[in-house]
Amino acid sequence: MDVLDLARLQFAVTGSLHFLFVVLTLGLAPLVAIMHTQWALSGKPLREGMTRFWGQIYVINYALGIVTGLVMEFQFGLSWSGLSHYAGDVFGAPLAMETLVAFFLESTFLGLWIFGWGRLPKALHVACIWIVTLTAYASAFFIMAANSFLQNPAGAVARGGRLELVDAGALFTNKTLVFAFPHVIGAGLFTGAMVLVGASAYNLRRRSDQVQFFTKSLRTGVLFASLGIFLTVGFGYAQFGGLQDGKFKGASAAAAGVPLSSMMLIGDLLMFVVLFLMLPLIYFLPRWRWTHPLLIAMTPVPFVVAILGWLAREIGRQPWMIWEKLTVADAMTPGLTSGMITFSLVGFVTVLGLLALVDYVLIARVVRRGPRDLALGAADEQRSPALSY
Amino acid sequence: MELIWFALFAVLLAGYFAIEGFDLGVGLLLPVLGKGQQGRDHMVAAMAPFVLANEVWLVAVAGALFGVYPALEGEVLFGLYPLVVVMLLAWVVRDAGLWFRRRIDGPAWRRFWDLMVAAGSLGLSFGWGVALYAAATGFGSSLLHPLGLMLGVVTTLLFAYHGWTFLCWRAPGFAGASRSGRALLVSGLVAALPVVGVTVGSMRYLLDSSAPPATLSVLSLMVLPFAPIVVVAQVWVWRTFRPGRDAVRIPSFF
Repeated sequence: MDVLDLARLQFAVTGSLHFLFVVLTLGLAPLVAIMHTQWALSGKPLREGMTRFWGQIYVINYALGIVTGLVMEFQFGLSWSGLSHYAGDVFGAPLAMETLVAFFLESTFLGLWIFGWGRLPKALHVACIWIVTLTAYASAFFIMAANSFLQNPAGAVARGGRLELVDAGALFTNKTLVFAFPHVIGAGLFTGAMVLVGASAYNLRRRSDQVQFFTKSLRTGVLFASLGIFLTVGFGYAQFGGLQDGKFKGASAAAAGVPLSSMMLIGDLLMFVVLFLMLPLIYFLPRWRWTHPLLIAMTPVPFVVAILGWLAREIGRQPWMIWEKLTVADAMTPGLTSGMITFSLVGFVTVLGLLALVDYVLIARVVRRGPRDLALGAADEQRSPALSY
Repeated sequence: MELIWFALFAVLLAGYFAIEGFDLGVGLLLPVLGKGQQGRDHMVAAMAPFVLANEVWLVAVAGALFGVYPALEGEVLFGLYPLVVVMLLAWVVRDAGLWFRRRIDGPAWRRFWDLMVAAGSLGLSFGWGVALYAAATGFGSSLLHPLGLMLGVVTTLLFAYHGWTFLCWRAPGFAGASRSGRALLVSGLVAALPVVGVTVGSMRYLLDSSAPPATLSVLSLMVLPFAPIVVVAQVWVWRTFRPGRDAVRIPSFF
């Protein structure tokens, strides 16, 4: 492999790892926010348990989203400085907005939510998780806007060998953005909801306590999985109306075709199963133990499909970094050596890969143990006289 | 407009040193002051509520670098390639250590991740000194230049001192000494001194490399209205987790 292949491989692997965690973050955040709201309104211990249990899974997953995201942010400057030299005046703006506004607020309020348990007034504590959800969506919007600019460089003109921003409105109403953003939000919601379904089915199958807890969780999961898959598939097909000219045609079509057609096939199948089998049977699923192995087996599928979707979108863009303006080869940092990229590739992939494995083991452990001894909100529990014996 | 964005960039960068500096400092001091698991838990619990709100300042610096100084972004990061990779890995390992250390109860598990927190904090603290020297010399010098390495030792010691001051401020019972908020402010300013020097020194260079007015206008329009909310959120963190009786709660999530 030459330097360019290695640099692309590094971006593809770290980007895919990042999205595996981000897609679940995007899905669990609103679900946990809804559970927390129900807890605050009803004061029921069941709702508190759901908030803390699914919240704990959400924050453990979040850790890997952060650390892979750090690598993504700095990778542009390390391997792809040709991009910022040619189009940084345009492409940099949405990325700057993502970090300066969306992620800044998201990180600050997530800290308040996790560590403010029992310290913040109830309403403000709930507000924190809603702000985290909103800013996570805003982050997704800005990142998708930046990516859409690569697909279809709207709102910019080339002047003096560089792209210049002339129409910010066009940047944020890009035809490759308007349907792709709700598509991603839907995919996140679907993924998060299917984790609720799979983990609840696992617990309903193997334990006799907590039946009510996981029955409610499973039904919530099926409900939001239905909404999620409906949005994902609907806006997925809608995207074909906004493709840049020439995408999925010509040389890149063969390479992008495999992930594209696999994603669509599995996506359609999932929609059929969720909308026409799981949703009508929502009342019976928690009790029908024979369905549980199938529900558990479905949990990883949305993650695979989400990565296939990105592969189709990004491979379909080749050989362009910015569609018909800048090639990927020209976007690579001049002077990047195979020694440098090998060093960073091995470092990032090893460390992030191992951490991702550990993170999944930790999430699986929380699922297996069920809603007891949860670390999220534990300090508050010990202080509260009602709960200490 | 260029001046406003330079000021914002400088504040974010200096602010990162002044507040994330004490998180790194506490990490550095873990093996030194953290006698036993309980001690280390106490130290981490003292800084835990601040970490997410503090480290995000550097994420914002990098975003601002991309948006406001796109021409410099590649130059700076590529000029420090191996160092940036090592510092990123240090940051990743430090964060993973914080998130993972309390997820399983075994003593070996805890010790391992505490070591990762300390090693990651060391990599970042030392790396900053080396990076600042390289930036001050226009990325022309070797990353192993003795002066750069010396500056690495200086930033490490400054962060450690800042971390100790923070512990004395928020957990005086544990640290065995008490420091006021004003002392913490002073140690934060001192920790930020090296980076302020380099940023002010490269002011002209940065101003000349600013993105064109059209880009800065859009950035201003979309970012500045949210600035008050960001400030309020940050102030709220400091108010909520201010020192006092029952400030450091165990078990903490980190």
